[in-house]
Amino acid sequence: MSFTRRDFLKTSAAGAAALSAPALLAGPARAAREKEMNILCWEGYNSAEVLDPFRSMHDATVKAESLTNDPTMINRLRAGETDVWDLINVNNPWARKVMYPEGLIKPLDRATFEPYFEKMLPGFEPPYKWAMSEDGSELLGIAQRFGPYSFVVNTDKISKATAEDQGWDLWNDPANAGRYGVLESDDWNVFDIFLIAGINPFVEHSDADFEAFDAAAKKVFKGAKLVGDIATMNQALISGEIDFHLTGGTYSASPARYDGFPEIRGITPLTSAIPGKGGVAWIEITSVVNNPQLSPLASQFLEYVQAPEMAHTVAFAEGTFNPVTQMGQKECFDLFTADQLEAIQWDSLEEDMARSAEYDIVPDYDRALDIMTAAKREASGG
Amino acid sequence: MDERPSILELVGVTKQFGGLTAVDHIDLKVREGEFFTIVGPSGSGKTTLLRMLAGMETPTTGDILLRDRVVNELPANRRPTCMVFQSLALFPHKSVGENIEFPLKMRGVARDKRKARALELLDLLRLPQSYYARNVTQCSGGERQRVALARAFAFDPEILFFDEPLSAIDYKLRKTLEKELKDIHKESGKTFMYITHSLEEAMVMSDRIGVMRAGRLVQVGTPEEIYTQPRDRFVSEFMGEVNVIEVRKGANGHAVGVELPGDFVLPGGAVPFETAHLVVRPESLRFLAGEGEAENHLRGTVYNEYALGSRIQYQVRVGEKVFIVERLRQQAYQGGLDQEVLIGWDAKDSVLVTD
Amino acid sequence: MGEAALPRDDSATPPQAAARRRLGLRAGPLYSLPMLTLLAVGFLAPLIAVIGFSFSEPRSFDWLAEPTLENYRTIFDPSNTVYLSFLWSLWFAFLSVLILAVICYPVAYGLAKVFGRWSMVITLLLVFPLFISENVRLYGWVLFFIKAGVLDGTLRALFDAGIGDFLFTPEAIVFGLVYVYVPFMLFPMTLGLSMVPNEVVEAAGDLGASRLQVFREIELPLAIPGIIIGSLLTFVLAVGAIAESKVLGGQSVIVITHDIEIAFTYSQNWPLGAALAVLLMLVIGVLVMTVLRYLDLDRILGRR
Repeated sequence: MSFTRRDFLKTSAAGAAALSAPALLAGPARAAREKEMNILCWEGYNSAEVLDPFRSMHDATVKAESLTNDPTMINRLRAGETDVWDLINVNNPWARKVMYPEGLIKPLDRATFEPYFEKMLPGFEPPYKWAMSEDGSELLGIAQRFGPYSFVVNTDKISKATAEDQGWDLWNDPANAGRYGVLESDDWNVFDIFLIAGINPFVEHSDADFEAFDAAAKKVFKGAKLVGDIATMNQALISGEIDFHLTGGTYSASPARYDGFPEIRGITPLTSAIPGKGGVAWIEITSVVNNPQLSPLASQFLEYVQAPEMAHTVAFAEGTFNPVTQMGQKECFDLFTADQLEAIQWDSLEEDMARSAEYDIVPDYDRALDIMTAAKREASGG
Repeated sequence: MDERPSILELVGVTKQFGGLTAVDHIDLKVREGEFFTIVGPSGSGKTTLLRMLAGMETPTTGDILLRDRVVNELPANRRPTCMVFQSLALFPHKSVGENIEFPLKMRGVARDKRKARALELLDLLRLPQSYYARNVTQCSGGERQRVALARAFAFDPEILFFDEPLSAIDYKLRKTLEKELKDIHKESGKTFMYITHSLEEAMVMSDRIGVMRAGRLVQVGTPEEIYTQPRDRFVSEFMGEVNVIEVRKGANGHAVGVELPGDFVLPGGAVPFETAHLVVRPESLRFLAGEGEAENHLRGTVYNEYALGSRIQYQVRVGEKVFIVERLRQQAYQGGLDQEVLIGWDAKDSVLVTD
Repeated sequence: MGEAALPRDDSATPPQAAARRRLGLRAGPLYSLPMLTLLAVGFLAPLIAVIGFSFSEPRSFDWLAEPTLENYRTIFDPSNTVYLSFLWSLWFAFLSVLILAVICYPVAYGLAKVFGRWSMVITLLLVFPLFISENVRLYGWVLFFIKAGVLDGTLRALFDAGIGDFLFTPEAIVFGLVYVYVPFMLFPMTLGLSMVPNEVVEAAGDLGASRLQVFREIELPLAIPGIIIGSLLTFVLAVGAIAESKVLGGQSVIVITHDIEIAFTYSQNWPLGAALAVLLMLVIGVLVMTVLRYLDLDRILGRR
C-alpha cells in the first residue's frame, strides 16, 4: 500500500506548498526555473544517457519520473501537478483529444518544430495528425518513439505466418489454454480483449458488446498461464513456460531479441475487427505542460532529442528498444547496427505499422476495465 | 550408628565435560529418610553431581543406583525424585494451585483430586488456602519457597534434591526457612539431599554432610564428625575460621612448631607423620592466667577485638602469626589491647591433619 | 517547603517563560514537537488524505468536493467480486502465518537454546537477504522454479523428470510470502523462546512432564508473546503484500493490494482505491485488536 501513501504524501505536500508558498516563492521560484526542468515520461527519457549531456550542457537540474501507463500521468496533471512538470510524454491520442482540450498542455511554435517532422520517416510528414490539435491549427507535441503492439510469439513454436494468419483467434482456440501469458498492461489488454471478442475497441460499445467482452476476458484469464511484467514474459517465452503472450510488440520483445533470442517476435495480425487493420500501434507524443512557470528548458529539450545521435540514444536507452521517427534521416539511421535493427524488427516494421491502427481512446474504457478486473479475479487460483 | 537401608547408591560416579572432570569417582550411600548435605565451594562439582542424581545429566562412567536399580540413563521425568532449584523455577504463567498440581496433572490425576492435594500441601507448608488462585509472581520470596516445596512434595517423590534454594534469600528469612525445612523433613520422613556452599546451613539441617572439593568427596560424616574431626586442612578450613599451626614430629609423641617456637601435646590417636598441621578452633582457645591451666599454650599480644553478638572475637598476635580466639560474652577478656597475654588449649580440642 | 508557600509574582518571571506559559507549553510537549510534527506530516496526513478520498466522488481527483458513500456502495454491491480479493489476501496471510509458525519454531528454539555462539552466525545469514530488494529475490526464485530453470533443469539432468507446474500458482505465492517473511516471524519467536528460563523447562521435566507436555504446558505459553508478535507482524505484512502474487504467482490470484493498485493506476479511480485501502485497514485493525484483546499480554508476561 506504500504507493498510495507516497502518492498522497506528494499530493498533500504539494497542497501544503501551494497554501504557504505563493507570496514567498513567486519571485525567486520563477528565476530558479531557468535552471530546472521536470519530465513526466515513459522510461527511456529518464535515463542518464539521455539526461546527463543535457544537464551539463545547461548546468541544470533535470528530474524525470517514469511511469508505465498513460492515465496515471495525465491524472497527475489533472490533480494539479501542472505547476510541477514541464514536459509530458504519453501515447498519441491524449494530446489532441484530452490534454489540449482540458488545458493541460500548451501548443508549440510550428515554425520551429514542423521542420523536424519533414525529416522524419514516411508517414510522419507535417501536419502529422496525432501531433496536431483536432482543428488542425496547433502543433501540440513532437513524435519520436513508436512501435506496433499487438502480441508476441516464440516463432520456434508458432511461425510468424501462422500467428499473423490466425491473429487474435489464437485466444479463441481452446487448445491454446495454458500455453500463453498476459502482459500486465491493463489498458492495452482492454483493446486486445475487444479484438479477441471480434469488436473494434475504439468505438462506443453496446451491452451486447460488453457481454462478448466479458466472455472473452474470462476465457483469456482462465487460460492464461501467468500475468506479469515484460521481464517475466520474456523469461517465460525463452524458458518454454509459455509459447506466446497477449499485448506486446517491439517495445516488449526487443530486449529479448537484442539478448540473442530472435525467435521472440512481435506479431501484427493480418486482420481484425478494426476495419482494414490487424493490430494496434503506439506513437509517443511529447508535449509541453501548461505550467504557469514553465521552464525555458522544455522546448530546448524537445529540440535536443531530435539530433540524430540523441535520437539513437533515446531508441536504445536502458530498458526497452524502439524505433524512432528520426530514422528517416540517414545520419540517424546509420547509427543503428545490424543487431539493433534486428532487435527492433526493422525487416517488417513498415508493413507492421501499415497494418496497425493507431492507439486510440476507448470511449467506455472504465466499464471495460472493471469487467476485465472482475474476470481476472474470477480466474484467481484456477 | 544409623543402620537404615540405603535408598541411593553411587559407585565410582564420574562426569567429564570435554577434557574437564567435574565429578571424579564418587562412592556414596544415602540412607532412606536421611537429610544429606553436600558442601563445597563453587566449582567443586556438587551441582553436577546433583543433576546426575536427578536425571538431568548422565554419568560418564560409574553407576547410580536407586533402590538397588541402576538408573544412569533414566530421564528426570521418569525418576521418583524431585529437584528444588536455586531459582525455584516456578511457572510464572500459572497460579500457586496450578504450580503445585503440575506434577499431578502430568500424571493424569483428576482435577478434584489434584485440588484436594494442593490444598492439603498449602496447609502442610503453612500457606493460606486463599493462595490457591494467586499468581506466583504475587508471592513473596518465602512464600515462593514454600510453593516450590509444595510442588515438589505433590507427587510424593522418594527423594528431594535441593540446589541451594536458600542462597538468594536474606539472612533472617534464611534462618527461619532452614529450620522450617528441617521440620518438614522430619514430618515427611522423605530423603532430602541438599547442596550448599554454606557450612552453617549444612550444620543446622543435616543428618550427614559430604564435603566436596575439585570433584571429589573429601569427607563424609555427621556434622559433629566433620566439625571436630576434619580429615584434612581443606575440610577444617572450609568449616569456618580456624587456627592452623604448621608442625613437625617432635620427641615423645609431641609436635614442634615450624613457624612458632613451642612444643605441643597432640590429641589422642594421631597418625604417624613427619610434618603436619595442628588445627585449633577459635572457641577452643582461651585466655590463661598461668601456663598450668591448659596442656598447650602460646604467648602473644591482643591486637584487636570484634563483638559478634553473643560472642567476642580477638586477634592475638604470636610472633608473625595471628590467632583467632572466640569467647562467649560472659567469658570476655578483661585486659586492654596490646597487652601481653597467655592463650592455650587442651590437646583433645585440637585436630592433627597431615594434608 | 511546599510550592504553595511561594508567593506568586508574575512580574518576577522572565518574559520567555511567561510567553511559554501563555502558550501552555511545558518542556515535555515542547521537546516532542519535532516527533509529533513528523508523525502528523508523515503518518496522519496521508491517512487523512486516504480516508477523505474514500468519501470523494468516484473517479474524481477533488478531495472531498462532494462527500459521498458511493465508493463503499460500489464495493458492497452484491455483484462486485472484490470481496474475493479480500478473502484471498486474508487466506494467504493466514496460511503464511501458520506455516511460518511451524517452520520457525524449531529454528527459533535452536537459536535461543541450542546453537550457542553459532546463533550469531546463523542470525546474520538469515538477515543478509534483507539487504537485497524483495523484488530481486523474488525474481531469483522465478529463475529457480521456471521451466528449464535451476531446479527443473537440474532435476531433468539427474532424474530425467522435471517439476510440475509450481511457478505462477497460488502455492508459489504462499511460498513467496513464507520465504520473504521468515525473519519477521523467526526473530520475535526467538526472543520469546529465549525468555523461557532453562531451569523452568528442566523443572517441568523433573516434575514428570514429557517433552510434548513441556512444550504445551511451559515453553509455548511462556514463549507466546514472541509468537503472537511474530504472527501479527507477518500477518499484517502478508495481507499488505503484492509482489509475491505478481512475481511468483504470475497474477494467478488478484490480491486486495493488487486491486488497490489497479484502482490507483489503470482505472484511475483514486476514491475507489482509497475506500478499498480504508476497508483493508479496518479489517486488519479489527483482527489485530481482537487477537490482542483475546490474548492478554500482561497476563501472559506474568506482570499481573
